[in-house]
Amino acid sequence: MSIVDLKGIYTAYEGGEKAVIRDLSLRVDRGEYVVIGGPNSAGKTTLLESINGLVKITHGSASVCGLDVSSQADEVRRRVGYVIQNFYFDPFTPFSVEQVVMMGRFGRLGLMNRPARADYDAAQRAITIAGIEDLVHKTIGTCSGGQQQKAMIAHNIAKEPEVMMLDEPFSNLDFVAREYLQGVFKEMARKGVPILMVAHAFDGLPNIPIHLVVMNKGKITYDMNCTAAEVENIIRKECGVSGKCSSG
Amino acid sequence: MLEWLIENNVVCHALEAMIFASIACSILGVIISRMNLSSIGFTMSHAAFAGAAMGMFLGANAQMTAIAFSMAVAALIGPVSDKAKMAADATLGVLFAMSMAVAIFLISYMEYMGKGLSASSLLFGDVVSLYREEIYALAAVCCLTIIFVLAFYKEISAIMFNMKIAEAAGVRVKLVYYILLFIIALSVALSLNIVGGLLIFVLLVTPASIAGQFCFNVKSMFIVAPLVALIVSAFGVWAGFEFTLPVAPLVALLLTGVFAISVMLSFKRRINTRMH
Repeated sequence: MSIVDLKGIYTAYEGGEKAVIRDLSLRVDRGEYVVIGGPNSAGKTTLLESINGLVKITHGSASVCGLDVSSQADEVRRRVGYVIQNFYFDPFTPFSVEQVVMMGRFGRLGLMNRPARADYDAAQRAITIAGIEDLVHKTIGTCSGGQQQKAMIAHNIAKEPEVMMLDEPFSNLDFVAREYLQGVFKEMARKGVPILMVAHAFDGLPNIPIHLVVMNKGKITYDMNCTAAEVENIIRKECGVSGKCSSG
Repeated sequence: MLEWLIENNVVCHALEAMIFASIACSILGVIISRMNLSSIGFTMSHAAFAGAAMGMFLGANAQMTAIAFSMAVAALIGPVSDKAKMAADATLGVLFAMSMAVAIFLISYMEYMGKGLSASSLLFGDVVSLYREEIYALAAVCCLTIIFVLAFYKEISAIMFNMKIAEAAGVRVKLVYYILLFIIALSVALSLNIVGGLLIFVLLVTPASIAGQFCFNVKSMFIVAPLVALIVSAFGVWAGFEFTLPVAPLVALLLTGVFAISVMLSFKRRINTRMH
Protein backbone atom coordinates (compact mmCIF):
# COMPACT_ATOMS: atom_id res chain seq x y z
CA MET A 1 0.00 0.00 0.00
CA SER A 2 1.34 3.44 -0.97
CA ILE A 3 2.12 5.85 1.87
CA VAL A 4 0.62 8.72 -0.16
CA ASP A 5 -2.36 7.78 -2.30
CA LEU A 6 -4.33 10.54 -4.04
CA LYS A 7 -7.23 9.53 -6.27
CA GLY A 8 -8.84 12.13 -8.54
CA ILE A 9 -8.54 14.99 -6.04
CA TYR A 10 -9.79 18.53 -6.62
CA THR A 11 -8.78 21.45 -4.45
CA ALA A 12 -10.31 24.91 -4.64
CA TYR A 13 -9.91 28.11 -2.69
CA GLU A 14 -13.09 29.94 -1.67
CA GLY A 15 -13.99 32.55 -4.26
CA GLY A 16 -11.62 31.04 -6.83
CA GLU A 17 -13.14 30.70 -10.29
CA LYS A 18 -11.86 27.19 -10.78
CA ALA A 19 -10.14 24.43 -8.86
CA VAL A 20 -6.40 24.91 -8.30
CA ILE A 21 -5.84 21.16 -8.55
CA ARG A 22 -8.05 19.17 -10.88
CA ASP A 23 -8.53 15.43 -11.08
CA LEU A 24 -5.06 14.72 -9.75
CA SER A 25 -3.92 11.22 -8.85
CA LEU A 26 -0.54 10.36 -7.35
CA ARG A 27 1.00 7.43 -5.53
CA VAL A 28 4.18 7.63 -3.51
CA ASP A 29 5.77 4.60 -1.91
CA ARG A 30 8.12 4.32 1.04
CA GLY A 31 11.67 5.43 0.34
CA GLU A 32 10.86 7.28 -2.88
CA TYR A 33 12.60 10.56 -3.70
CA VAL A 34 9.93 12.65 -5.44
CA VAL A 35 10.81 15.90 -7.19
CA ILE A 36 7.83 18.10 -8.09
CA GLY A 37 8.50 20.68 -10.79
CA GLY A 38 6.58 22.96 -13.10
CA PRO A 39 5.90 26.61 -13.86
CA ASN A 40 4.46 29.23 -11.49
CA SER A 41 0.84 28.69 -10.41
CA ALA A 42 1.00 25.05 -11.45
CA GLY A 43 -0.41 24.02 -8.04
CA LYS A 44 2.77 22.49 -6.58
CA THR A 45 2.46 24.10 -3.12
CA THR A 46 -1.29 23.43 -3.13
CA LEU A 47 -0.54 19.76 -3.83
CA LEU A 48 1.73 19.55 -0.76
CA GLU A 49 -0.84 21.35 1.41
CA SER A 50 -3.58 19.02 0.16
CA ILE A 51 -1.49 16.03 1.22
CA ASN A 52 -1.22 17.25 4.83
CA GLY A 53 -4.75 18.62 4.99
CA LEU A 54 -3.88 22.32 5.26
CA VAL A 55 -5.96 22.89 2.11
CA LYS A 56 -9.34 21.24 1.86
CA ILE A 57 -9.89 18.56 -0.76
CA THR A 58 -13.28 19.15 -2.38
CA HIS A 59 -13.55 15.95 -4.46
CA GLY A 60 -11.72 12.65 -4.67
CA SER A 61 -9.98 10.70 -1.95
CA ALA A 62 -6.60 11.17 -0.28
CA SER A 63 -4.92 8.72 2.02
CA VAL A 64 -1.61 9.45 3.77
CA CYS A 65 0.07 6.95 6.13
CA GLY A 66 -3.16 4.94 5.86
CA LEU A 67 -5.23 7.85 7.19
CA ASP A 68 -8.02 9.67 5.38
CA VAL A 69 -6.79 13.25 4.95
CA SER A 70 -10.26 14.83 4.92
CA SER A 71 -11.38 13.38 8.24
CA GLN A 72 -8.05 12.87 10.05
CA ALA A 73 -6.05 15.93 8.98
CA ASP A 74 -4.69 16.62 12.50
CA GLU A 75 -3.28 13.10 12.79
CA VAL A 76 -1.85 13.28 9.24
CA ARG A 77 -0.05 16.54 10.10
CA ARG A 78 1.47 14.91 13.18
CA ARG A 79 3.10 12.31 10.94
CA VAL A 80 4.07 14.41 7.92
CA GLY A 81 6.95 16.87 7.95
CA TYR A 82 6.42 20.04 5.93
CA VAL A 83 9.01 22.74 5.37
CA ILE A 84 6.98 25.70 4.15
CA GLN A 85 8.07 27.95 1.31
CA ASN A 86 7.80 31.45 2.75
CA PHE A 87 8.47 32.48 6.29
CA TYR A 88 9.78 35.56 7.98
CA PHE A 89 10.76 35.85 11.62
CA ASP A 90 11.25 39.37 12.93
CA PRO A 91 14.40 40.09 14.98
CA PHE A 92 12.35 40.30 18.20
CA THR A 93 10.89 36.78 17.85
CA PRO A 94 11.41 35.46 21.39
CA PHE A 95 12.42 31.91 20.49
CA SER A 96 15.86 30.37 20.15
CA VAL A 97 16.77 28.00 17.30
CA GLU A 98 16.81 25.14 19.84
CA GLN A 99 13.24 25.96 20.94
CA VAL A 100 12.07 26.16 17.32
CA VAL A 101 13.55 22.74 16.55
CA MET A 102 11.89 21.32 19.68
CA MET A 103 8.52 22.66 18.48
CA GLY A 104 8.68 20.11 15.67
CA ARG A 105 7.85 17.48 18.34
CA PHE A 106 4.84 19.31 19.78
CA GLY A 107 2.23 17.89 17.40
CA ARG A 108 3.32 14.32 18.09
CA LEU A 109 3.19 14.90 21.84
CA GLY A 110 -0.51 15.70 21.89
CA LEU A 111 -2.37 18.30 23.95
CA MET A 112 -0.88 19.39 27.27
CA ASN A 113 1.81 16.64 27.34
CA ARG A 114 5.27 17.88 28.24
CA PRO A 115 8.36 16.91 26.22
CA ALA A 116 10.22 13.93 27.66
CA ARG A 117 13.89 12.95 27.45
CA ALA A 118 13.25 11.19 24.12
CA ASP A 119 11.88 14.41 22.63
CA TYR A 120 14.91 16.44 23.70
CA ASP A 121 17.16 13.71 22.26
CA ALA A 122 15.26 13.77 18.94
CA ALA A 123 15.62 17.56 18.76
CA GLN A 124 19.33 17.31 19.53
CA ARG A 125 19.79 14.68 16.79
CA ALA A 126 17.96 16.93 14.31
CA ILE A 127 20.21 19.86 15.23
CA THR A 128 23.29 17.70 14.62
CA ILE A 129 21.92 16.35 11.33
CA ALA A 130 21.10 19.85 10.05
CA GLY A 131 24.54 21.06 11.17
CA ILE A 132 23.29 23.97 13.27
CA GLU A 133 24.91 23.16 16.62
CA ASP A 134 26.50 26.62 16.70
CA LEU A 135 23.10 28.33 16.38
CA VAL A 136 21.11 26.65 19.15
CA HIS A 137 21.15 29.61 21.56
CA LYS A 138 20.67 32.29 18.88
CA THR A 139 17.18 33.77 18.56
CA ILE A 140 15.61 32.66 15.29
CA GLY A 141 14.88 36.22 14.12
CA THR A 142 18.53 37.21 14.28
CA CYS A 143 19.62 34.30 12.06
CA SER A 144 20.25 34.75 8.34
CA GLY A 145 17.71 33.44 5.80
CA GLY A 146 19.81 30.35 5.18
CA GLN A 147 20.21 29.65 8.91
CA GLN A 148 16.46 30.03 9.42
CA GLN A 149 15.85 27.61 6.56
CA LYS A 150 18.20 25.04 8.15
CA ALA A 151 16.41 25.54 11.49
CA MET A 152 13.04 24.86 9.82
CA ILE A 153 14.46 21.72 8.19
CA ALA A 154 15.77 20.59 11.61
CA HIS A 155 12.31 21.40 13.11
CA ASN A 156 10.81 18.88 10.70
CA ILE A 157 13.57 16.28 11.08
CA ALA A 158 13.01 16.42 14.88
CA LYS A 159 9.43 15.38 14.20
CA GLU A 160 10.71 12.02 12.87
CA PRO A 161 8.13 12.18 10.08
CA GLU A 162 6.79 9.25 8.09
CA VAL A 163 6.68 11.50 4.99
CA MET A 164 8.89 14.56 4.45
CA MET A 165 7.57 17.37 2.25
CA LEU A 166 9.76 20.33 1.33
CA ASP A 167 8.66 23.42 -0.57
CA GLU A 168 11.70 25.00 -2.20
CA PRO A 169 13.90 24.11 0.77
CA PHE A 170 17.13 25.37 -0.80
CA SER A 171 16.07 28.84 -1.92
CA ASN A 172 18.25 30.59 0.70
CA LEU A 173 21.08 28.09 0.90
CA ASP A 174 24.55 28.12 -0.62
CA PHE A 175 25.68 25.17 -2.74
CA VAL A 176 27.63 23.57 0.12
CA ALA A 177 24.55 23.51 2.37
CA ARG A 178 22.38 22.34 -0.54
CA GLU A 179 24.60 19.37 -1.32
CA TYR A 180 24.93 18.48 2.35
CA LEU A 181 21.15 18.57 2.95
CA GLN A 182 20.44 16.65 -0.27
CA GLY A 183 22.61 13.95 1.32
CA VAL A 184 20.52 14.15 4.50
CA PHE A 185 17.29 13.68 2.53
CA LYS A 186 18.82 10.84 0.51
CA GLU A 187 19.64 9.10 3.79
CA MET A 188 16.07 9.66 5.04
CA ALA A 189 14.74 8.13 1.81
CA ARG A 190 17.13 5.19 2.22
CA LYS A 191 15.59 4.60 5.64
CA GLY A 192 12.14 4.45 4.05
CA VAL A 193 10.86 8.02 4.56
CA PRO A 194 9.60 9.30 1.20
CA ILE A 195 10.79 12.79 0.24
CA LEU A 196 8.44 15.08 -1.72
CA MET A 197 10.32 18.16 -2.82
CA VAL A 198 9.04 21.13 -4.80
CA ALA A 199 12.07 22.64 -6.50
CA HIS A 200 13.18 24.97 -9.24
CA ALA A 201 16.89 24.30 -9.00
CA PHE A 202 18.00 20.74 -9.56
CA ASP A 203 21.73 20.80 -8.97
CA GLY A 204 22.98 18.41 -6.35
CA LEU A 205 20.08 15.96 -6.62
CA PRO A 206 21.21 12.60 -5.20
CA ASN A 207 22.32 9.94 -7.62
CA ILE A 208 19.36 7.65 -6.98
CA PRO A 209 16.20 6.98 -9.02
CA ILE A 210 14.05 10.11 -8.92
CA HIS A 211 10.26 9.95 -9.07
CA LEU A 212 9.64 13.06 -11.16
CA VAL A 213 6.24 14.76 -11.09
CA VAL A 214 5.71 17.72 -13.42
CA MET A 215 2.64 19.88 -12.89
CA ASN A 216 1.01 22.45 -15.10
CA LYS A 217 -2.29 24.29 -14.56
CA GLY A 218 -3.32 22.09 -11.64
CA LYS A 219 -2.67 18.79 -13.37
CA ILE A 220 0.14 16.29 -13.49
CA THR A 221 1.64 16.17 -16.97
CA TYR A 222 4.51 13.81 -16.17
CA ASP A 223 4.76 11.13 -13.51
CA MET A 224 7.65 8.69 -14.04
CA ASN A 225 11.00 7.65 -12.66
CA CYS A 226 14.16 9.12 -14.13
CA THR A 227 17.76 9.83 -13.19
CA ALA A 228 18.90 13.00 -11.45
CA ALA A 229 20.67 14.13 -14.64
CA GLU A 230 17.44 13.93 -16.66
CA VAL A 231 15.23 15.94 -14.29
CA GLU A 232 15.86 19.45 -15.60
CA ASN A 233 15.57 18.51 -19.29
CA ILE A 234 12.30 16.67 -18.74
CA ILE A 235 10.83 19.63 -16.86
CA ARG A 236 11.97 22.07 -19.56
CA LYS A 237 10.37 19.86 -22.17
CA GLU A 238 7.13 19.54 -20.20
CA CYS A 239 7.05 23.31 -19.64
CA GLY A 240 7.47 23.79 -23.37
CA VAL A 241 10.52 25.98 -23.02
CA SER A 242 14.00 25.55 -24.39
CA GLY A 243 15.59 27.68 -21.62
CA LYS A 244 15.23 27.21 -17.89
CA CYS A 245 11.81 26.81 -16.33
CA SER A 246 10.58 29.98 -14.71
CA SER A 247 11.02 29.94 -10.97
CA GLY A 248 8.80 31.08 -8.09
CA MET B 1 -7.68 39.14 51.06
CA LEU B 2 -5.26 41.95 51.86
CA GLU B 3 -7.21 43.28 54.84
CA TRP B 4 -4.35 42.22 57.14
CA LEU B 5 -2.17 44.71 55.28
CA ILE B 6 -4.55 47.57 54.46
CA GLU B 7 -7.16 48.72 56.94
CA ASN B 8 -9.19 50.87 54.58
CA ASN B 9 -11.65 48.54 52.84
CA VAL B 10 -12.05 50.70 49.72
CA VAL B 11 -8.30 50.94 49.14
CA CYS B 12 -7.92 47.24 49.89
CA HIS B 13 -10.60 46.25 47.35
CA ALA B 14 -9.17 48.60 44.74
CA LEU B 15 -5.69 47.19 45.19
CA GLU B 16 -6.87 43.58 45.04
CA ALA B 17 -8.92 44.25 41.92
CA MET B 18 -6.08 46.06 40.15
CA ILE B 19 -3.63 43.28 41.01
CA PHE B 20 -5.84 40.49 39.66
CA ALA B 21 -6.91 42.44 36.56
CA SER B 22 -3.38 43.52 35.72
CA ILE B 23 -1.92 40.02 36.13
CA ALA B 24 -4.63 38.35 34.02
CA CYS B 25 -4.62 41.00 31.29
CA SER B 26 -0.83 41.30 31.04
CA ILE B 27 -0.36 37.51 30.71
CA LEU B 28 -2.98 37.40 27.96
CA GLY B 29 -1.34 40.50 26.48
CA VAL B 30 1.94 38.63 25.95
CA ILE B 31 0.08 36.13 23.75
CA ILE B 32 -2.06 38.55 21.76
CA SER B 33 0.76 41.05 21.15
CA ARG B 34 2.92 38.33 19.65
CA MET B 35 -0.03 37.11 17.52
CA ASN B 36 -0.66 40.67 16.24
CA LEU B 37 -4.14 40.52 17.74
CA SER B 38 -3.90 43.62 19.93
CA SER B 39 -7.19 44.96 18.57
CA ILE B 40 -8.89 42.08 20.38
CA GLY B 41 -8.66 44.37 23.45
CA PHE B 42 -10.80 47.02 21.74
CA THR B 43 -13.32 44.51 20.50
CA MET B 44 -13.76 42.62 23.74
CA SER B 45 -13.94 45.72 25.88
CA HIS B 46 -16.60 47.23 23.64
CA ALA B 47 -18.47 43.93 23.51
CA ALA B 48 -18.48 43.98 27.32
CA PHE B 49 -19.56 47.63 27.20
CA ALA B 50 -22.44 46.76 24.84
CA GLY B 51 -23.41 43.82 27.06
CA ALA B 52 -23.42 46.01 30.16
CA ALA B 53 -25.55 48.62 28.39
CA MET B 54 -27.93 45.85 27.38
CA GLY B 55 -28.14 44.65 30.98
CA MET B 56 -28.95 48.17 32.20
CA PHE B 57 -31.52 48.54 29.43
CA LEU B 58 -33.20 45.26 30.39
CA GLY B 59 -32.87 45.90 34.11
CA ALA B 60 -30.63 42.84 34.50
CA ASN B 61 -27.24 42.44 36.16
CA ALA B 62 -24.93 44.52 33.96
CA GLN B 63 -21.85 42.45 34.78
CA MET B 64 -23.52 39.18 33.82
CA THR B 65 -24.79 40.56 30.52
CA ALA B 66 -21.35 42.07 29.85
CA ILE B 67 -19.79 38.62 30.32
CA ALA B 68 -22.48 36.96 28.19
CA PHE B 69 -22.11 39.44 25.33
CA SER B 70 -18.29 39.24 25.35
CA MET B 71 -18.49 35.45 25.32
CA ALA B 72 -20.86 35.59 22.36
CA VAL B 73 -18.46 37.88 20.49
CA ALA B 74 -15.52 35.61 21.41
CA ALA B 75 -17.46 32.67 20.03
CA LEU B 76 -18.01 34.58 16.78
CA ILE B 77 -14.42 35.74 16.10
CA GLY B 78 -12.93 32.35 15.17
CA PRO B 79 -15.78 30.94 13.07
CA VAL B 80 -16.43 34.28 11.31
CA SER B 81 -12.73 34.59 10.39
CA ASP B 82 -12.67 31.00 9.14
CA LYS B 83 -15.97 31.17 7.26
CA ALA B 84 -15.45 34.60 5.71
CA LYS B 85 -11.75 33.85 5.04
CA MET B 86 -10.93 37.19 6.62
CA ALA B 87 -7.91 38.10 8.70
CA ALA B 88 -8.79 37.92 12.41
CA ASP B 89 -8.02 41.66 12.66
CA ALA B 90 -10.70 42.50 10.07
CA THR B 91 -13.24 40.33 11.89
CA LEU B 92 -12.35 42.09 15.12
CA GLY B 93 -12.96 45.44 13.41
CA VAL B 94 -16.42 44.39 12.24
CA LEU B 95 -17.40 43.03 15.66
CA PHE B 96 -15.96 46.11 17.40
CA ALA B 97 -18.14 48.40 15.26
CA MET B 98 -21.20 46.21 15.88
CA SER B 99 -20.60 46.23 19.66
CA MET B 100 -20.10 49.98 19.76
CA ALA B 101 -23.25 50.51 17.69
CA VAL B 102 -25.32 48.35 20.06
CA ALA B 103 -23.96 50.23 23.09
CA ILE B 104 -24.51 53.72 21.65
CA PHE B 105 -27.97 52.77 20.37
CA LEU B 106 -29.09 51.54 23.79
CA ILE B 107 -27.57 54.45 25.71
CA SER B 108 -29.10 57.01 23.34
CA TYR B 109 -32.46 55.27 23.44
CA MET B 110 -32.47 55.21 27.25
CA GLU B 111 -31.58 58.89 27.39
CA TYR B 112 -34.40 59.60 24.93
CA MET B 113 -36.81 57.61 27.11
CA GLY B 114 -35.62 59.62 30.10
CA LYS B 115 -34.34 56.50 31.89
CA GLY B 116 -30.88 57.97 32.25
CA LEU B 117 -27.80 55.82 32.04
CA SER B 118 -24.36 56.77 33.15
CA ALA B 119 -21.90 55.19 30.79
CA SER B 120 -18.90 56.84 32.36
CA SER B 121 -18.21 54.02 34.85
CA LEU B 122 -18.23 51.52 31.99
CA LEU B 123 -15.99 53.65 29.82
CA PHE B 124 -13.55 54.85 32.45
CA GLY B 125 -13.99 52.33 35.29
CA ASP B 126 -14.82 52.90 38.91
CA VAL B 127 -12.33 51.22 41.15
CA VAL B 128 -13.76 52.57 44.42
CA SER B 129 -17.19 50.94 44.24
CA LEU B 130 -16.40 47.27 43.83
CA TYR B 131 -18.25 44.39 45.46
CA ARG B 132 -16.35 41.56 47.12
CA GLU B 133 -17.92 39.09 44.66
CA GLU B 134 -16.41 41.00 41.75
CA ILE B 135 -12.96 40.69 43.28
CA TYR B 136 -13.44 36.96 43.87
CA ALA B 137 -14.50 36.59 40.22
CA LEU B 138 -11.39 38.49 39.11
CA ALA B 139 -9.19 36.31 41.32
CA ALA B 140 -10.77 33.22 39.74
CA VAL B 141 -10.14 34.54 36.20
CA CYS B 142 -6.57 35.40 37.15
CA CYS B 143 -6.03 31.81 38.34
CA LEU B 144 -7.76 30.46 35.21
CA THR B 145 -5.41 32.50 33.00
CA ILE B 146 -2.33 31.21 34.80
CA ILE B 147 -3.60 27.61 34.65
CA PHE B 148 -4.39 28.01 30.92
CA VAL B 149 -0.87 29.23 30.15
CA LEU B 150 0.77 26.52 32.27
CA ALA B 151 -1.40 23.72 30.86
CA PHE B 152 -1.12 24.76 27.21
CA TYR B 153 2.32 26.38 27.36
CA LYS B 154 3.68 24.12 24.62
CA GLU B 155 0.77 24.85 22.24
CA ILE B 156 0.69 28.57 23.10
CA SER B 157 4.40 29.03 22.41
CA ALA B 158 4.08 27.21 19.06
CA ILE B 159 1.14 29.45 18.08
CA MET B 160 3.02 32.56 19.20
CA PHE B 161 5.97 31.50 17.05
CA ASN B 162 3.98 30.99 13.84
CA MET B 163 0.39 29.80 13.52
CA LYS B 164 0.85 28.10 10.14
CA ILE B 165 4.02 26.28 11.16
CA ALA B 166 2.29 25.19 14.40
CA GLU B 167 -0.66 23.85 12.41
CA ALA B 168 1.65 22.04 9.97
CA ALA B 169 3.42 20.47 12.97
CA GLY B 170 0.08 18.99 14.06
CA VAL B 171 -0.57 21.31 17.02
CA ARG B 172 -4.28 21.76 17.84
CA VAL B 173 -4.16 25.44 16.92
CA LYS B 174 -7.90 26.14 16.65
CA LEU B 175 -8.82 24.60 19.98
CA VAL B 176 -6.19 26.57 21.91
CA TYR B 177 -7.06 29.76 19.98
CA TYR B 178 -10.76 29.44 20.86
CA ILE B 179 -10.00 28.82 24.56
CA LEU B 180 -7.76 31.90 24.49
CA LEU B 181 -10.59 34.01 23.05
CA PHE B 182 -12.98 32.89 25.81
CA ILE B 183 -10.50 33.67 28.58
CA ILE B 184 -9.82 37.11 27.08
CA ALA B 185 -13.59 37.75 26.93
CA LEU B 186 -13.99 36.76 30.56
CA SER B 187 -11.01 38.79 31.78
CA VAL B 188 -12.02 41.91 29.87
CA ALA B 189 -15.68 41.72 30.94
CA LEU B 190 -14.71 41.39 34.59
CA SER B 191 -12.08 44.15 34.39
CA LEU B 192 -14.54 46.57 32.81
CA ASN B 193 -15.71 47.95 36.16
CA ILE B 194 -12.16 48.57 37.28
CA VAL B 195 -10.34 50.25 34.42
CA GLY B 196 -13.22 50.75 32.01
CA GLY B 197 -13.65 49.82 28.37
CA LEU B 198 -11.31 52.48 27.08
CA LEU B 199 -8.34 51.76 29.34
CA ILE B 200 -8.40 47.96 29.36
CA PHE B 201 -6.30 48.10 26.20
CA VAL B 202 -3.44 49.55 28.25
CA LEU B 203 -3.41 46.56 30.61
CA LEU B 204 -3.51 44.13 27.68
CA VAL B 205 -0.84 45.68 25.50
CA THR B 206 1.55 47.89 27.47
CA PRO B 207 3.03 45.43 30.04
CA ALA B 208 3.70 42.91 27.24
CA SER B 209 5.35 45.65 25.17
CA ILE B 210 7.53 46.64 28.13
CA ALA B 211 8.58 43.01 28.66
CA GLY B 212 9.30 42.74 24.93
CA GLN B 213 11.97 45.44 25.25
CA PHE B 214 14.11 43.33 27.55
CA CYS B 215 13.16 39.65 27.21
CA PHE B 216 14.81 37.33 24.72
CA ASN B 217 12.53 34.39 25.41
CA VAL B 218 8.83 33.90 25.87
CA LYS B 219 9.10 32.35 29.32
CA SER B 220 10.67 35.49 30.76
CA MET B 221 8.02 37.62 29.01
CA PHE B 222 5.31 35.68 30.86
CA ILE B 223 7.06 36.55 34.14
CA VAL B 224 8.19 40.14 33.48
CA ALA B 225 4.90 41.45 31.96
CA PRO B 226 2.63 40.57 34.95
CA LEU B 227 5.35 41.63 37.39
CA VAL B 228 5.60 45.08 35.79
CA ALA B 229 1.80 45.36 35.60
CA LEU B 230 1.45 44.35 39.25
CA ILE B 231 4.07 46.82 40.55
CA VAL B 232 2.79 49.75 38.47
CA SER B 233 -0.87 49.00 39.31
CA ALA B 234 -0.15 48.75 43.05
CA PHE B 235 1.83 52.00 42.94
CA GLY B 236 -0.99 53.62 40.92
CA VAL B 237 -3.61 52.60 43.50
CA TRP B 238 -1.49 53.94 46.34
CA ALA B 239 -0.74 57.21 44.53
CA GLY B 240 -4.36 57.59 43.42
CA PHE B 241 -5.70 57.38 46.98
CA GLU B 242 -2.81 59.28 48.52
CA PHE B 243 -3.09 62.27 46.19
CA THR B 244 -6.83 61.95 45.34
CA LEU B 245 -6.31 61.17 41.66
CA PRO B 246 -8.41 58.92 39.40
CA VAL B 247 -6.82 55.50 39.78
CA ALA B 248 -7.43 53.81 36.39
CA PRO B 249 -6.19 56.67 34.17
CA LEU B 250 -3.24 57.14 36.52
CA VAL B 251 -2.26 53.48 36.16
CA ALA B 252 -2.62 53.80 32.37
CA LEU B 253 -0.37 56.87 32.32
CA LEU B 254 2.20 55.26 34.60
CA LEU B 255 2.36 52.16 32.41
CA THR B 256 2.78 54.32 29.31
CA GLY B 257 5.58 56.23 31.05
CA VAL B 258 7.33 52.99 32.00
CA PHE B 259 6.97 51.84 28.39
CA ALA B 260 8.62 55.04 27.10
CA ILE B 261 11.52 54.62 29.53
CA SER B 262 11.89 50.94 28.66
CA VAL B 263 12.15 51.76 24.93
CA MET B 264 14.92 54.23 25.71
CA LEU B 265 16.78 51.77 27.94
CA SER B 266 16.16 48.60 25.93
CA PHE B 267 19.42 46.78 25.33
CA LYS B 268 17.71 44.80 22.58
CA ARG B 269 17.65 47.95 20.48
CA ARG B 270 21.28 48.83 21.03
CA ILE B 271 23.59 48.48 18.05
CA ASN B 272 27.08 47.18 18.74
CA THR B 273 29.45 49.79 17.36
CA ARG B 274 32.61 48.18 18.67
CA MET B 275 35.14 47.31 15.98
CA HIS B 276 36.74 44.44 17.88
